[in-house]
Amino acid sequence: MPMAQSRLQSIFSSRYAVFYVLVLPAFLLRMIYTVIPIIQTVLISFTNRTILGGQYIGLRNYEVLAKDSTLIGSLGWTLLYTATAAVGETVIGLGIAILLMQNLRLRWLSNFIMLLPWVVAPMLAAVAFQILYFEDGGILHAILQELGFGNAAVRWLSDAETARFSTIVMTVWKNVSWVALIFMAAIGSLSKEVLEAAAVDGANTLQRFWYVTLPLLKPAIYLVLLLRAMAEVQTFEQIYGLTRGGPGSATKTLALYTFERFFQQLRYGYGSAVNIVLLLLTIVIGAIFAWLLYRSREI
Amino acid sequence: MIHQRRRLRNTMLYALLAAVLLGLVFPVLFMAFTSLKSVNEVNRIPPTPWPRYPTLENYPFMARAWDFWLTLRNTIFLAGGSGLAATVLGAMAAYAFSRGAFRGQTLMYSLLVASMAVPAMVTLGPIFIAYLQFNLLDTHIGLILVFTAGGMPLATLLQFAYFNAIPRELDDAAAIDGAGRFTTLFRIIMPIAMPGVFVSFLLLFIAGWNEFLFVFTLSTSPDTQVLTTKLYTIAPREADYNSSNLDLVATAGMFVLLPLVPLLMLTQRQLVEGITFCAVHG
Repeated sequence: MPMAQSRLQSIFSSRYAVFYVLVLPAFLLRMIYTVIPIIQTVLISFTNRTILGGQYIGLRNYEVLAKDSTLIGSLGWTLLYTATAAVGETVIGLGIAILLMQNLRLRWLSNFIMLLPWVVAPMLAAVAFQILYFEDGGILHAILQELGFGNAAVRWLSDAETARFSTIVMTVWKNVSWVALIFMAAIGSLSKEVLEAAAVDGANTLQRFWYVTLPLLKPAIYLVLLLRAMAEVQTFEQIYGLTRGGPGSATKTLALYTFERFFQQLRYGYGSAVNIVLLLLTIVIGAIFAWLLYRSREI
Repeated sequence: MIHQRRRLRNTMLYALLAAVLLGLVFPVLFMAFTSLKSVNEVNRIPPTPWPRYPTLENYPFMARAWDFWLTLRNTIFLAGGSGLAATVLGAMAAYAFSRGAFRGQTLMYSLLVASMAVPAMVTLGPIFIAYLQFNLLDTHIGLILVFTAGGMPLATLLQFAYFNAIPRELDDAAAIDGAGRFTTLFRIIMPIAMPGVFVSFLLLFIAGWNEFLFVFTLSTSPDTQVLTTKLYTIAPREADYNSSNLDLVATAGMFVLLPLVPLLMLTQRQLVEGITFCAVHG
């Protein structure tokens, strides 16, 4: 008993207490808005709750989920979208970063333009691309015609396969300059001596990039892939704005499917179960890349 | 010979740079152009690349249709208020993490970092239900709380790194002069780390300005709408296809973007610093 008391005393003694006063408002607010909702989501996913109430039904939602073809399609599309967008952003972003690191002029202009897609709200990106993808004589169609790609109208948003492609292009555009900025910082922090040593040894530009720069950038590449994949897997806003998940369910990511069940049909139980799938997927992706990142930093 | 090769290389690099920058700016630029077109011009096929007869008539029209000033006020209030709250609360937490050695420190820090990975959609459902019960739907305070909680990890981690770079001797000197921890933080540490504090607020303000999902689900009344949610109501599929309303859609888009452009120009350097900082230290 005296032991416990002295421990309590040491925790709340004035020297430490002030740190708790400093840290707890931020910490508790964040936890109230993340940890508690996750626990509630798990609990609600075991019920058939709607806006009118509901009861415990065990794993019934998950059994339905396993046979829900919309969910399976949505899961597949979410994986495809996440992989394509994250890899596309990383590859193109790295290319842009290398290009911009060549000490070209017009730095202020390129910096401003690089920040533009980043500062554009996801919903605004959807609007900007809505205008580009306009199907009844939109600008993209006109440009393709000018370049001699024939006269056939491309159904940017009304054809399932093309709509998927269109959403990925929009997402890559939105995030590629962010990726490039990260890579520029990473390249800038590489040691110049190694690259110079490689040059002295007679390696040409391409060899230097492939055998020296790229391996050194490995941790940065994994970090970018980690952050992008975790962001893309939960994409909602720009796809909701551009296609609302359509045509049909072609571009319906898991987040959009949750939204449909939870907020449009008000099926809280089932929507929560879809959310659990999304959460697990996020954790798996995060764990894989965090592990890769950890290993690449070890070596 | 070497001279020629160098010139060729430079020409190619600049051509590539021009192509990349054009690709990045084009969607926004074409939106800006479209907002300056008249109804007649926007319906032309093929579309004019830039407005032949530029007009500003869409802007006052959309401003009236949107109740623009009220919406702008809401957006600034929400983004600014939550940005400020998260920056101050985050600074307090960052200071405790930086200077303190207290029980549960590592756990709290890890949980704060890990919480960044939680998809917004997963937390949104229970937040919606709770707001329904506590009558927080359609309220500014409810939205500010969500936004503040959302910005907390960034505010804490960013300022933590800046505070760590400040020597602890300053704290000791302040303590000898009789300053408490709060005084030390607000009077000494935060002013020294002002660039970091400012970057934190700036990033949170922009994030709040651009947020859509939470406002869309947690508020329905016109009194609590923001620019992005207004954008949605005229945006995608409601175009009358006989006479497109792309000019109006584009104008609405410009309402969301234009206020940020001067901010972007003035704070370019800080933004780049903040963006790369987050990724490298986060």
